[in-house]
Amino acid sequence: MSDNKIYFKFDGKRYGGNEGDTIASALLRNNIKFVGRSFKYHRPRGIYTCGIEEPNALVQIINEHNEPNVRATVKKIYEGMVVKSQNRWPSLKRDFGSINNLLSPIFSAGFYYKTFMGPKGFWKKVYEPLIRRTAGLGKPPKEFRSKSIHIHHNVDVLIVGGGLSGLLAAKKLAGTDHDVLLIDRDDCLGGILKNTKKIKSIDNQRTNTWVEKTEWLIKNSKNIKILKNTTVTTYNFDNHLVAFEDKSVGKPPDNIKPELVLHKIRTKHTILANGHIERFISFRNNDLPGVMLAASFEKYIHKYGVVPDQNPIIFTNNSSTFSLLKSLVDLGHKPRAYVDVRDQKKIEKETLELLTKYNIPLYAKSEIEGCDGKNGVQKVSIRIKKNEIIKIKTSMLCVSGGFNPDIHLFTQSKGLIKWDDSLLTFKPDKSYQNTITLGSVSGNFSYEKLIGEINKKLSFLQGVNHLESTLDINGPKKFQIKELWETKHEKKSFWSKSFIDLQNDVTTKDLKQAILEGFNRIEHLKRFTTNSMGTDQGKISSINALGIVSKILKKNVSEVGTTIYRPPYTPVSFSAIAGRSTYEFYDPERKTPLHTWHVNNNAVFEDVGQWKRPWYFKKHTNETMHEAVQRESKQLRETAGILDGSTLGKIEIKGRDALTFINLMYTNSFTKLKPMSARYALMLGEDGMVKDDGIVCKINDQHFIATTTTGGAANVLAHMEEYAQTEWPDMNVYMNSITEQFATFNISGPKSRVIMSRVFNDIDFSNDKFPFMTFQNFNYLDTQIRILRASFTGELGYEIYIPPKYALRLWQRIFFYSRDLDLVPYGTETMHLLRAEKGYIIVGQDTDGTVTPLDLNLNWMIGKKKKDFIGKRSLTRSDIVRENRKQLVGLIPLDKTYGIEEGQHVIEKENLSTPIKKPVEMLGHVTSSYFSPTLKHSVAMALIRGGKRKIGSQLYVSTSDLNTIPVEVVETSFIDPKNERMLL
Amino acid sequence: MTIIASGKGIEISQTELQQILLRGKGDGSFAETINKEISLLPPSDNLRMISNDKFLFAKQSFDQWSLFCLVEESNEEILRLISSMNANEEILASDYSHTSCFEITGENKNYYLSKLTHFDLRPKKFPVSTMAQTLIARIDCSIYHLEDKYLVTCHSSFEDYFKDRLQDAINL
Repeated sequence: MSDNKIYFKFDGKRYGGNEGDTIASALLRNNIKFVGRSFKYHRPRGIYTCGIEEPNALVQIINEHNEPNVRATVKKIYEGMVVKSQNRWPSLKRDFGSINNLLSPIFSAGFYYKTFMGPKGFWKKVYEPLIRRTAGLGKPPKEFRSKSIHIHHNVDVLIVGGGLSGLLAAKKLAGTDHDVLLIDRDDCLGGILKNTKKIKSIDNQRTNTWVEKTEWLIKNSKNIKILKNTTVTTYNFDNHLVAFEDKSVGKPPDNIKPELVLHKIRTKHTILANGHIERFISFRNNDLPGVMLAASFEKYIHKYGVVPDQNPIIFTNNSSTFSLLKSLVDLGHKPRAYVDVRDQKKIEKETLELLTKYNIPLYAKSEIEGCDGKNGVQKVSIRIKKNEIIKIKTSMLCVSGGFNPDIHLFTQSKGLIKWDDSLLTFKPDKSYQNTITLGSVSGNFSYEKLIGEINKKLSFLQGVNHLESTLDINGPKKFQIKELWETKHEKKSFWSKSFIDLQNDVTTKDLKQAILEGFNRIEHLKRFTTNSMGTDQGKISSINALGIVSKILKKNVSEVGTTIYRPPYTPVSFSAIAGRSTYEFYDPERKTPLHTWHVNNNAVFEDVGQWKRPWYFKKHTNETMHEAVQRESKQLRETAGILDGSTLGKIEIKGRDALTFINLMYTNSFTKLKPMSARYALMLGEDGMVKDDGIVCKINDQHFIATTTTGGAANVLAHMEEYAQTEWPDMNVYMNSITEQFATFNISGPKSRVIMSRVFNDIDFSNDKFPFMTFQNFNYLDTQIRILRASFTGELGYEIYIPPKYALRLWQRIFFYSRDLDLVPYGTETMHLLRAEKGYIIVGQDTDGTVTPLDLNLNWMIGKKKKDFIGKRSLTRSDIVRENRKQLVGLIPLDKTYGIEEGQHVIEKENLSTPIKKPVEMLGHVTSSYFSPTLKHSVAMALIRGGKRKIGSQLYVSTSDLNTIPVEVVETSFIDPKNERMLL
Repeated sequence: MTIIASGKGIEISQTELQQILLRGKGDGSFAETINKEISLLPPSDNLRMISNDKFLFAKQSFDQWSLFCLVEESNEEILRLISSMNANEEILASDYSHTSCFEITGENKNYYLSKLTHFDLRPKKFPVSTMAQTLIARIDCSIYHLEDKYLVTCHSSFEDYFKDRLQDAINL
């Protein structure tokens, strides 16, 4: 602990602390014990513990994005830190919300469930807004930007906890071939060696010296890495653990370096040496500021050099408080009283000797009835006999109700636990994974047995040495405890309470009430009362709750069982979980080889999966999307347009059985297709539903190239691989994705042939030499390109496939040769409009996984003579051939000035009542709709029941303002049904 | 080769390597066809690599190999090589030269990569002359362990995102 002074603010007032102080230790240094208000009753609350288990002292850090619910017992101070207490208004001392404490008799267990049932309508308008406004402790930050990273570790052994057991285990593993990671949540190693006086010396060295030497040894062994300020929060399957490191301990936020690190650890063996947590005892007003756990009080003395109070009262039911007593008297402080539940004969002689030597009043076989005071402990009532209570003035009361092995991580790993009648707690029984528990977490509270335990449990690890150390123990060598969960409550007033969960304001009376109402299963009781459901997960109190419940139910605690310990062990910020996957790195982006050109030419991009595709190109700043799309579409049909189609999936398929394979994968037949020809092809799932579409190019019977939709590329390849490997393993066929190996340009429009002829002046693009749905390979510069004559716009069109590094040069060359022909670059929205005018579908927009080729009127794409293909059998099912299935049709508004909205319902009724009281029969929905600049009216496609039979009839399409538009049902091809433009 | 980031015991550079992706049975005919073209037999163990002065050959899975040209060849020669391999009807050879390649060198390369991938890079688990296909910075990548460096390849469409993540991680 450094003596360097640091100044910070708490509730607007400046305080000084020492470098290394937590907010709590610094406040205690300034004699501040009242630091917050409780969750429900707004009762004054103080500092209860000295670590991660803290239920009370939660504060808001104003200068760290207003970070709420920060545990004051963990967060270190730094110069200029601004801290504010929570859940109070207008001030901590005068809190308006404390009226809740006066009303507390009505806030019993299950209050919310019982109260907010009625009257009807109150929930939405009254209860919910009110609860939302008043609930919670801190205020969430409005603007937040944090930098955190994830670091992955693969190790042989992970040691959780750098206390005595963890250090001894690490020492045993030092210098071996095992890769070891040692994690401790504190900023220094040593645990109880630094926080208590329980051990005098190790190997005849002072404990601090031993810790320093052991740490040096570990650091210098090449196989062990140490992480401090790191808390293991999660223990998953396959020995995968997650730990959370605070990099900004004792430092203000840094905008450049990461503040938080989430360590993801994969290990072969996990050693849990994470110790124990002290628990409290419930008594009247056990929540008052000034009540603190005994071991935490001692930790403040040794770790931070702060004595929270020189003359506290110590209240215990076990032997561990000897250490606190010794620490206080060694400093010349005298506790006002030592209250032990146990009979004097059972109290350890070391404790009795100290009490006698320093003349400290002992109240054996006694208990704390309660304490009183305004905003803090002022007076403590001790029941010294059954009906005799004495009162002692004091400002602090140190409580120890025993210890719980910190089994949270062990149970997360699915390890089994068992109840120990002598320790009065649950401890690990059987590991589910490669988990070893050492020291107090395993229920071993005897330091004498620790070395033997470590040697025994780690002997299976190859190459480890026999550990030999001598521990000189201070005080009682054996841990003794007497059962006491709650003391008898002398009824003082309605507002005196005996708490079981300090964070959620759950009282022992609430537990009794819940059981009375039938919630006698511990999981039900937990939810009814919200006991141990706070961010501290009831670390100091959940076992006490089980103890109290077991008494009421007259059962053993082991019969009552425990609730499930869930990750994370301590709260983890969303920022740490997100890591770098935020803001600019939120989602990986894919860009085509022409992306920069698109950016330079005012493209507005659309996300298609992870791809960035030009949606449309703005001619000028004020041009709207509608205007741009209309302009691009019109110009393409008049001259020519060019689309960057590089994102289309491309799969190269080759092998002796490639033809058989392709015939099975697609509905079409490719047997008679001539080499160097192409075919528009449909791929179905086994259920007969359309899965994907594309163009299949046949190089020869052993070699094909198939294109897929942009979004379907990876799935189609995986689909093909799965069938090749699992259904037809004897087939000789292989697939490679070549999506990224070729950029693709689609040139369409009446002038496209002229442009192509200019750009590739040695190629004959005439109908005879280059008919529709054929392709050819050509040498271009020092590479090869493939040109396919095909169209997705209904116009004469060509697709060019070129290796990406030549793409930009060719793209620019095309524009150069068409500068007098008004070639227009167009985006995906124009592509959608043009294909809709022609009646071409988009899989995923005009289909939804329930649509067959027959529904799309694509019967002609099914190879009737084919023996088999995926989905063939399903196409003959009675439901598939049913006449009134939803089928794709075209819609045109009768009044050409109307637009049709995508997604709207198609119905038979003209008028809709407002509001709609009876269900309106829906025939289907509009899948695509655009305003056609060529036809000068809206064209739409819709999937409607029995659609084919309805062609020529009049139906209605709903609108978002509950009106209807009369439409005529037509064929899906709105322009050039005879394909004259395409075959030009 | 272009250095895209360096410092803290790390150097990351981008390089262009011609690459052919091969699929096939891996039988005698397959090995013979390949050997005839490049005088190198394909590795037979999964995720292992072999190399000579001109080529680096990695077996990616039971029927997939990656062949890198360590000495730049003309594009025509690569296309000729692919065409010759494809002459065997049971082999599929595709030009994969348009894949982004990065070299990561330096004493802290494992720590650096631990910020980007969960993959176990310890030499005892990922020795020299082995390769793996894994996620790095959430991108599907192949990583090849060469003598003193890692060669990492990914789809070129992810290149900008991937480079930004590589540069970002060096500063964290």
